[in-house]
Amino acid sequence: MSSLAPSLAIDARDVEKSFRSGFTGTRRTPALRGVSLVVPRGIIFGLLGPNGAGKTTLLSILSTLLTPDRGSVRVLGLDVVREAAALRRRLNMASGRPSFLWSLRVAEIVAFYGRLYGLSGRALAHRVDSLISEYELEPYRRLPYNELSTGLKQRVALAKSLVNDPELLFLDEPTLGLDPDVSVRVRAHVAALRERGMTIVLTTHYMREAEELCDDVAFIKAGRILAHGTPDALKRQIKLGSVIALRLDPPAVPWLADADGVLRVTADADGWLECVVDDVEKRLPVLLRQLVGDGVVIRNVQVREPELEEVFVELAR
Amino acid sequence: MSWRGEALAVWAVVVRNAIMASRNVFFFFELLFWPIVGVVSIGFMTRFLALTPAQGSFVLIGTIALSVVNVCQLEVAYAVLMDVWSKSIKHQFLAPIGIRHLTLGSWLVGIVRGLLVFILVAALGGWAFGFRVLEPGLAAVAIFLLGCFVNAWIVGVFVCALITLFGNRAEAFAWASVNLVLMLAGIYYPVSVLPDSAAAIAKAIPLTYFLDAYRSHFGFATEFAAPITTGLVLSAFYAMAAHAAFWAAIQRARRTGLLLKMSE
Repeated sequence: MSSLAPSLAIDARDVEKSFRSGFTGTRRTPALRGVSLVVPRGIIFGLLGPNGAGKTTLLSILSTLLTPDRGSVRVLGLDVVREAAALRRRLNMASGRPSFLWSLRVAEIVAFYGRLYGLSGRALAHRVDSLISEYELEPYRRLPYNELSTGLKQRVALAKSLVNDPELLFLDEPTLGLDPDVSVRVRAHVAALRERGMTIVLTTHYMREAEELCDDVAFIKAGRILAHGTPDALKRQIKLGSVIALRLDPPAVPWLADADGVLRVTADADGWLECVVDDVEKRLPVLLRQLVGDGVVIRNVQVREPELEEVFVELAR
Repeated sequence: MSWRGEALAVWAVVVRNAIMASRNVFFFFELLFWPIVGVVSIGFMTRFLALTPAQGSFVLIGTIALSVVNVCQLEVAYAVLMDVWSKSIKHQFLAPIGIRHLTLGSWLVGIVRGLLVFILVAALGGWAFGFRVLEPGLAAVAIFLLGCFVNAWIVGVFVCALITLFGNRAEAFAWASVNLVLMLAGIYYPVSVLPDSAAAIAKAIPLTYFLDAYRSHFGFATEFAAPITTGLVLSAFYAMAAHAAFWAAIQRARRTGLLLKMSE
C-alpha cells in the first residue's frame, strides 16, 4: 500500500478498468489502462481528453461510484473500495448533465441531500438558505426541478454538491451546454471554492476553462495519461513553439515557410500570417530584418504563446 | 454512523418519497383507483356467484392483501425506481447512504400508504358488501397487516435488486412480481387447490401463512400448524436474503458501471 502524504488529495497507482459488452458480456472494452495520478490538496485539477478517453471513468472511480479492476486508489487518505463509506461523507460531485427527481423543488433537493449528509433542523435550513442565496436560486426555490432551465439545473447541481462542504469536489463538465454568461458565473464560483481551500477535480472540453481555472492538468487519451503538469509546463513539454502573427504587405511571402526555425506557416482569412517558430527571441529579430530587407511592409506584429487548446489538439492527434 | 445519522438518512428518504407521492398522479391511482376497482369487482363477483358470507370474506381478504402488499411493495421499489426514471441514481449512491436507509425509509411511507388502502378497502368492503374486516379483533388484523407489510418489503427489495442488476429492463418486475407471489400464496383460494409443485412453492412464501392465519378467524380451517410463527421465520429469512441480494446487486453495478449508465 502506498503511503499518502497529508498534502495529497488523490493518489492513484496503475489503475485499470474495463467494461464488458456484447450479448454474452465476453467482450471487454478497456477504459483505463494503468493510470497513475497524484493530485495535491487545495488546487483545481483539470482532467482533459477527447470523448471516450476515460475521464468520466476515472472520475467515477475516484468518487467511489465505480470500483477499479486493478491498481490502488486513495482519496483524501482513504481507500476508495475498502473505506468508501467514510470517504463519501467528505466528497461530492456535480455533473454537466444534472438530473434530480422531477417533482422536488429546488430547496427540497438541497435539503434531501443535506439530510443524507447528517444535517437537520436549523443547521440544515441555514445550509439550504445559504446555498440557494450563493447560487442565486432564491426566486426559484419553490419551483419543481423539471420546470427549471438548463442553467438553473446546473446551479442546483452545484448547490447540492456543496451541501456537505466537501473537502474534495468533482465537477464533470460543469459548464456543458450553458450560456456564456452563466458559464462565466459558474467559473467564478469554482474559482471562489479554491480560495476556501477545497480541492476540485474537473473534466472539461473547454480548454479556455481549463486554462483559466486549473492549477494542474492531465491529458488522458485511450485510458492513458499522456501528459500531466501545469498548463504552462505542458505547453513547454509539448514543444509547440511560439506563434508570431504578422500582417504584411504584400500579404504572402513565399520564403517564410522555409526560413530557419520556422515550424509552419498558416494564413487566416483576415490577412494574418501565423508563423510557429521554435524560439521566438532568437527568430523574431532575424525574420523582421529579412522581411524589411526584402521590401516587405510590416503593418503589425503580435507574439503569443500557444494555447492549451493547441496542446490538446497535438496530444489528441 | 451514529443513531442520529441513521435516523436522519431514513427520514430523508421518508420525506422525499412522501413529497413525490403527494405530487404525482400515478400515486393516487395506486392508492385509490386500483384498490377500489379490485374490491368492487370482486364484491360483485361474490354476489353473482352467490357465495356465502364466509366465502366472500375469504376472497375479499385476498383482494385486501393484494392491494395493501402491492401499494407498499411499489413504494419500496420506488427507492430505486424514481432515481432510475429521473437518472439521478448516481447522486444517491455517491452520498453516504446505505440500502437499509433507502429501503426502510421508503417502506415506512409504504406502510402509511398501505394502511390508507386497507382502511379504504375495508370501509368500502363493509359498506358495499357487508364484509367486517375488524371482526377477528385488532390483534389479528395487526398481525395480518404486519405480514403484508413485511412481505411487501421483501418483494420490493428484491425488485430493487433486480433493477440494480438489470437496469430499466427489470422495471416490469415492480408491477408483476407481487401478482405472481399472491397467485402462489393463495390469493382467492386455499393453497391446497394448487397443483403439488405450485403448492410446494406456496409453502415457501411467508404471505401464504399470514393469509391462512387471518382466514382462520372467518371460520376456515387452518392448513398449517403455527402459521404466524412459520410466516415470521420465513419472512426473517427472506428479508435477510433480499437485503443481501440488493447489496450484492449494488456492488455489481459499481463494478459493471450500470450505476453510471442508469444516470445517463
